[in-house]
Amino acid sequence: ALVMGEDEAEIAVNIGGVKLVLYGDVLNRYPESRLAELINCSTLNYDIIYSLCDDYDPGNNEFYFDRDPDAFRCIIDVYYFGEIHIKRGICPICFIKEMEFWKIDQSYLDECCKSDLTEKEEELAEIANKVKLILDDLDVVPSVNRSARYQKFLWKLMEKPESSLPARVVAIASFLFVLVSSLVMCVGTIPEVQMKDDEGDLVEHPTLEAIETACIGWFTVEYLLRFMSSPNKLHFFLSFMNIIDFMAIMPFYVVLTLTYLGTAMMDLAKVQQAVQALRIMRIARIFKLARHSSGLQTLTYALKRSFKELGLLLMYMGIGIFVFSALGYTLEQSHPETLFSSIPQSFWWAIITMTTVGYGDIYPKTTLGKCNAAISFLCGVIAIALPIHPIINNFVIFYNKQRLLETAAKHELELMELQSSEDSMVKATRKSGALGALESSMRSSRSDNCIPLIEESTRTLKSKKYCSETESF
Amino acid sequence: MNKGGSRSTTSLPPEPVEIIRSKAHYRRVRLNVGGLLHEVLWRTLDRLPRTRLGKLRDCNTHESLMEICDDYSLDDNEYFFDRHPGAFTSILNFYRTGKLHMMEEMCALSFSQELDFWGIDEIYLESCCQARYHQKKEQMNEELKREAETMRGREGEDFDTTCCSEKQKKLWDLLEKPSSSLAAKVLAIISILFIVLSTIALSLNTLPELQDIDEFGQVTDNPQLAHVEAVCIAWFTMEYLLRFISSPSKWKFFKGPLNIIDLLAILPYYVTIFLTESNKSVLQFQNVRRVVQIFRIMRILRILKLARHSTGLQSLGFTLRRSYNELGLLILFLAMGIMIFSSLVFFAEKDEEDTKFKSIPASFWWATITMTTVGYGDIYPKTLLGKIIGGLCCIAGVLVIALPIPIIVNNFSEFYKEQKRQEKAIKRREALERAKRNGSIISMNMKEVFARSVELIDVVVENNGENMGMVQDNHLSLSHRKETPKRTTSEMGSTQSLEPSSPDKAHPASPQHLNVQKLEEMYNKMAKTQSQPNLNSKDKGHLSKVPKKRDEIEMGVIPTEPAPTTDMRSMSSIDSFMSCAADFTESARFSHSPSTTVPGRVSANPVLETTLEHEAMESSHSATKVPGGRGSKHGLFSDSPRGLRLSNPLKNRSLKVNFKGGDADPSSSSSAQGPGGWALSDSSALSAHSLMSPEVSVYTTASSKTPPPETLIPTVFTFHDASISKFIDADTDEEEHLHDSSGTNASQRLLGKASPKLSYYSSHQRAANHLESSQRMLGNSVFPLEARSGGGQGNHVLSRGERSHSNTHNENK
Repeated sequence: ALVMGEDEAEIAVNIGGVKLVLYGDVLNRYPESRLAELINCSTLNYDIIYSLCDDYDPGNNEFYFDRDPDAFRCIIDVYYFGEIHIKRGICPICFIKEMEFWKIDQSYLDECCKSDLTEKEEELAEIANKVKLILDDLDVVPSVNRSARYQKFLWKLMEKPESSLPARVVAIASFLFVLVSSLVMCVGTIPEVQMKDDEGDLVEHPTLEAIETACIGWFTVEYLLRFMSSPNKLHFFLSFMNIIDFMAIMPFYVVLTLTYLGTAMMDLAKVQQAVQALRIMRIARIFKLARHSSGLQTLTYALKRSFKELGLLLMYMGIGIFVFSALGYTLEQSHPETLFSSIPQSFWWAIITMTTVGYGDIYPKTTLGKCNAAISFLCGVIAIALPIHPIINNFVIFYNKQRLLETAAKHELELMELQSSEDSMVKATRKSGALGALESSMRSSRSDNCIPLIEESTRTLKSKKYCSETESF
Repeated sequence: MNKGGSRSTTSLPPEPVEIIRSKAHYRRVRLNVGGLLHEVLWRTLDRLPRTRLGKLRDCNTHESLMEICDDYSLDDNEYFFDRHPGAFTSILNFYRTGKLHMMEEMCALSFSQELDFWGIDEIYLESCCQARYHQKKEQMNEELKREAETMRGREGEDFDTTCCSEKQKKLWDLLEKPSSSLAAKVLAIISILFIVLSTIALSLNTLPELQDIDEFGQVTDNPQLAHVEAVCIAWFTMEYLLRFISSPSKWKFFKGPLNIIDLLAILPYYVTIFLTESNKSVLQFQNVRRVVQIFRIMRILRILKLARHSTGLQSLGFTLRRSYNELGLLILFLAMGIMIFSSLVFFAEKDEEDTKFKSIPASFWWATITMTTVGYGDIYPKTLLGKIIGGLCCIAGVLVIALPIPIIVNNFSEFYKEQKRQEKAIKRREALERAKRNGSIISMNMKEVFARSVELIDVVVENNGENMGMVQDNHLSLSHRKETPKRTTSEMGSTQSLEPSSPDKAHPASPQHLNVQKLEEMYNKMAKTQSQPNLNSKDKGHLSKVPKKRDEIEMGVIPTEPAPTTDMRSMSSIDSFMSCAADFTESARFSHSPSTTVPGRVSANPVLETTLEHEAMESSHSATKVPGGRGSKHGLFSDSPRGLRLSNPLKNRSLKVNFKGGDADPSSSSSAQGPGGWALSDSSALSAHSLMSPEVSVYTTASSKTPPPETLIPTVFTFHDASISKFIDADTDEEEHLHDSSGTNASQRLLGKASPKLSYYSSHQRAANHLESSQRMLGNSVFPLEARSGGGQGNHVLSRGERSHSNTHNENK
């Protein structure tokens, strides 16, 4: 039996087949842990012993734990060294579960292994989020009243192109409208296509104008429907994509109101200027093209994440521009027909040289100036290449991660479906309850997920479909 | 004492009652997986009742237990599974915690095989490991598929039905495989020179100094250059036609992208000639001239012909095809950037006097040139706002272009590496083929015919998507194999007992072959990836050295075995060829002594056991035939008269069966028993078991040659190699079955016995097979882990053999 209350107390433990002898004084360093509890508890009280371990052999005085021995070997380190390192190859999430079982606090995990853990946890959280999102889409819980149901239907129709065929049609139509309106905007500026109005000014062709109006009409309807069906109006209003949508529509109406009412309030020139300014905002609709592109989302995410690096890039460029434009200006002063009339003027030259564009509208003419140009070109290449690398890295990581998340979420969903179908299967087998059926099932079924195969009679349509899916996959 | 031993001492398999008692007695169970001991509560295993371990709990008979585990001992409450121990840790944790995680360093493919074996579906993998697992698996599958495709393509291209197939093949090799011979290499270089020459001529043609003026006042080609062009085109046409004639599959040839390029390089010339000739009078009309011009431009496509001779160009094409997603992204980014910046700069610049930004489409050009940082300078912003936009445009362009490119680059480098690897593999293969041609041509043909037929079936199976059929097939054959020894024991003394088991044996065996063939393909690839320059010469050497080497391996293995060699030999002959054992009382007697020691090895160290078995298998021939028959292996015909001398019908028959089992032995196989043996054993269950053919031992030689023979690790690989080669052998055997049984009668058999030619034939064939498979195996042994995990199918079979092994012990006692 156990030697009680002594520091020399020792217990033999068998963790999943690995036998160890542990000493009481070592275990008592962490009195709240499972092993310390075990060594401190009364030998006679079998209830407590069995609540702490899985099996107890009084003959050998051996406690058996049905746990992973590999993980335990790492966890036992805490008693000796006060810190835990996760062995390579063990999943951190799994390891944390083991630590919980041994009642060792997570804080004992060493810093070097913690980053692994947080990384995994973040990934899991992301997957969970994604799954939740997908589940929300798939949610078929009948809404309380009719209006809510309509709202949901509308929302899915407008926002989730994958959900149904009509939704896909709507998405494609929307995409085409964006494309057409963008093209119209571009074509409308070609002088040959434009027409002269009464005052001799060039205005857009009436057909183009009509197409534009139609497109704007579609956008407005789309925006309003989406707004109406959105579950959270404020959130909808503030989201980036919807702001762009709004900006794509707004100018048209503002221009309309200004041309009809504006003349009464202010003079014509100002109105026209305002109209011009607002026209530029029509460019925003180009962003709508990428509404459903995951690539653009990745880009925006990568840019957001690498804000610092972008700042660095701009800073490097800024410094380079200042230095080289000033240098270029001074070095070019000696030439009589210099193109560098002032330092701000030579900013442009510096930018164009450093980004290796080189239009050739401004170029150095003296030898020293040419040397300066060469150096500025080299520095520009370096200044751009250095900070761009982390940005690219972010982009690639996020791009890969997104693809990884997609597969993970897909399989998570499959697992959920499987579990639900399995539950029903278990019920079904229990009902039939025949031992013989079970026996035969074991032979025919490859694994638990193909239980549906066993019982032809109880097989539901859903599970059948599922099975075929998993097989093909 | 270990489990194997403990069970064989109790002569009979334990009664169900005993099993139930044992299970009731212990709350825990010890699982020995590949040598690593785990202890787990029965209760834990009950959580997943339909997995392999869950079923273990419910099994109450010896047979059902043996179906689930590879060995067990009731006394120690221990069950042995011959599987990878590393993967099992995570699988057992699944029972304990309900969370299935994957060992990080484990290959996804082998882990999936382990999961299949333990009856756990991969869907239970936790999401943190799930993603990694599936990505790896998909990637691997894709690679395998591609590999299989190229393999099939290579195999299929030699398919000839015409009478002049030999010439056709030669021509095909000459034109398509520059590395096949010197002439082909020269031809390829000439072809490249012609391409370069014609391209240069095409460019020079447009130099005004070299152009002529024709009667209509239009510029035409320089006559000298036209001649050059004509010669080049003639060469290209001839090349294309020859290729087309020699191609094994015309339609496939026609469809090939490289051949389409070839055609496009030739056609414009002929079209131009046709147009000019037919419209000579109306040539001055502009539209005809324009059409001719367009076709002339198409001539530049011939530069793409270089792709045929360059791996780099091919992988570029493939990369672009594979990363169309990223390319789309790049174009999307660029298009959006161009649209935005061009419209911005248009609004900024349009009020400027004499501006070149006349419209948004006009400023597209500027935006493109700026974003790609080309900057011609024909159009540039002049206002301050325009310049600011221009600056932003430059930086945005650099960013946008740089972002998706690393992904494409990654794709390219991956593919390029793969391509290089494959190129090496193909070279190796060709060298091997050459070696075979030098050695014996017959065997190569046989092998190829066989490989093709299997591949065809393979495709069918693949189409069916038999992922789970694989496991079930295994189970099937498993149980059948087990039946055989049992039946033998019940009707001890009669070899006839083997016959009834034949029909069912044939069936389950074949699907397994298919899977294994697939596996083999995989192995092949692995082997090839590790091509070592010195391997070829070594393998060539094998042909002649085979008998010698075998002796060497025996020397290497035996020292680790304490039992006397003679004992072991005879014993193993019983183990593997039970039917013989029944007849050979002598060997049965022998079997007593080693029975305790050898199974001991089996359980304690499965690794050693296998080597032992192979070795023994091979030596069994000599043991059963004649004492000292081993020496006769060196001479091809030396033992044939002896075999004939065995006039005792009973003995003779058993021998035949025996030879069936081991007919792959290069020297002994055909000498006496030859076709006769096959005809008989055609129906014998052991034919499928020819697994244990002595050829295996050769591979043992091959793989254990490199590392020191004392170490155990290399022998593991031998084991696996053997399991694969087994299938190669089994396959060839089956083919020969068909061959022989189709036209076998007594007289023919006799003829076969009498004629040394036949024996010579088959022995040659064997030898060649050795060569090829041994080379494969050699490559294999370099990759111990993959081989280990990949050989899951083979594993089953072997463990089966091992089991029958111990069964016989019981019988003999």
